Amino acid sequence: MSHHFLEVNDLYYSYPDGTEALKGVSLRLEHGEAVGLVGANGAGKSTLLLAVAGLVFSGSGTVNIGGAILSKKTLGEIRRRLGFIFQDPEDQLFMPTVFDDVAFGPLNQGLSAGEVSFRVEEALRSVGAGHLSDRPAYRLSGGEKRAVSIAAVLSMLPDILLMDEPSSGLDPRNRRMLIGLLGDFTHTRLIATHDLDLVLDVCPRTIVLHRGEIAADGHTEEIFRDEGLLERCSLEPPLCMQGVRS
Amino acid sequence: MAKKLDINFNELVSCSTAASGSSLVHRLDPRAKWLVTLAFAVTATSFGKYEIARLMPLFFYPFAMIALSGVAVADVLRRTALAAPFILLAGLFNPFFDRHVLISLWGFPLTGGWVSFLSITLRSVLVVSSVVLLSLTTRSDRLFSGLGELGVPSIFVVQLQFLNRYILLLAGEVQRIVRAHSLRSGSRRNSVSLFLSGSMLGILLLKSMDRAARVHWAMLARGFDGEVRTACPLKFSWQRDGAFVLIWVAFFGAVRFIDIPFLLFGWAVGK
Ligand SMILES: Nc1ncnc2c1ncn2[C@@H]1O[C@H](COP(=O)(O)OP(=O)(O)OP(=O)(O)O)[C@@H](O)[C@H]1O
Ligand SMILES: [Mg+2]
Repeated sequence: MSHHFLEVNDLYYSYPDGTEALKGVSLRLEHGEAVGLVGANGAGKSTLLLAVAGLVFSGSGTVNIGGAILSKKTLGEIRRRLGFIFQDPEDQLFMPTVFDDVAFGPLNQGLSAGEVSFRVEEALRSVGAGHLSDRPAYRLSGGEKRAVSIAAVLSMLPDILLMDEPSSGLDPRNRRMLIGLLGDFTHTRLIATHDLDLVLDVCPRTIVLHRGEIAADGHTEEIFRDEGLLERCSLEPPLCMQGVRS
Repeated sequence: MAKKLDINFNELVSCSTAASGSSLVHRLDPRAKWLVTLAFAVTATSFGKYEIARLMPLFFYPFAMIALSGVAVADVLRRTALAAPFILLAGLFNPFFDRHVLISLWGFPLTGGWVSFLSITLRSVLVVSSVVLLSLTTRSDRLFSGLGELGVPSIFVVQLQFLNRYILLLAGEVQRIVRAHSLRSGSRRNSVSLFLSGSMLGILLLKSMDRAARVHWAMLARGFDGEVRTACPLKFSWQRDGAFVLIWVAFFGAVRFIDIPFLLFGWAVGK
């Protein structure tokens, strides 16, 4: 059980309209590692996460989650281990109340009512949203929605977290809280984001995606200091490092 | 137009909020409410096509439910009004086809068509308002699981659930598109030309399909397998829910088989 690694091997994916979103992506995350996935708009970050979770099926290449190769047969098993946090929390929240939404995953795992409500409370508390339990999910603020959408995934006790733009739409304080939260997690984490400062704080390692291919994979600080690389991939160095440079 | 759509959207959302109240009616088992609503609809539609006076006692039901549940009358009326086009359409052609004169009112011949139009409209208003009340007093997950427990195949229940969710999503997309348009269209603010609204509809369709796919992904990612489970299983209490069903069904039966308006006011008409 101590091996929640994530391995992607030579993965290709084209959308039905012919857009080649992934062109031979390979990477490996070790147990408990936090890795930032950065790249300009349209680089293929979201697509890569979808493909890892088996939500889009690629033409070629393999995804290996802790020793299980992703296929239609292993899909259920693999999704139990993965927690997927979507770019827009609206897409994730669909039950009438926050409680029901966070309970959706655990109920699908066939847990008993008592176990489910324990997990829901635990998950909501860990994101500081315990007081929102009875509120309707579509009535929350952006930051509250984000917190609840993270709780909804944590309640399933996943081994590996895939996150798409977790800090988008958060005010500075909530963003700080999120960064603290992500840094405390012990899950294996793959975080796709434009927020390079978040990556700097949370992820020792960064992967740069450029037009569907991996342009760099290495120490976060080294990558963010490589101006030529960032320039080529249409990225800006993180704010705090811009300060240092000038 | 933007304003109007904003209001409609808020209406949908505020209605979903009203459903989580805690009155006696809100707490009833959803199965009991489905059964009573169904019995009500059957009763209302089973009267003869020229019947008007005998429908009147049925209005007691929506009023009693409003009083018991504390739902705002305005909410019920507004939501019922959303269905007005369909309600009116249902009986619209009767006046043209059925022209034989039933009675003369102060010299005006009143044709069977007009009477049956009125009758159909009244009945539709009754049925629609009862369904509105059901949705206003029952949280959507309980509403649907109640339907499932009543033996409706789960595939239909899940479809309805998705429909419910997509209507909210669709309303949200409409709102965003209309806002974006009205913000950029300068002085011609309120005129959405026919061409534009056509292309906007196209965008709307594509956007909501994309969103539907993403919602579906989000559900799959959390282990959705075609069945929506609820945390609190339904409990049918005979004392509360059974009594609720029995009392209303008895009332509907009485209205259907006894001419209550005649009993009450027959002496006044002098028959
Ligand atoms: N549903 C779709 N149909 C067709 N092409 C798509 C679809 N979704 C994305 N694409 C295309 O695939 C490529 C990769 O998109 P993706 O959403 O993975 O990028 P991203 O890195 O997540 O971008 P962003 O930072 O803007 O979220 C882009 O060229 C995009 O236009
Ligand atoms: Mg993206």
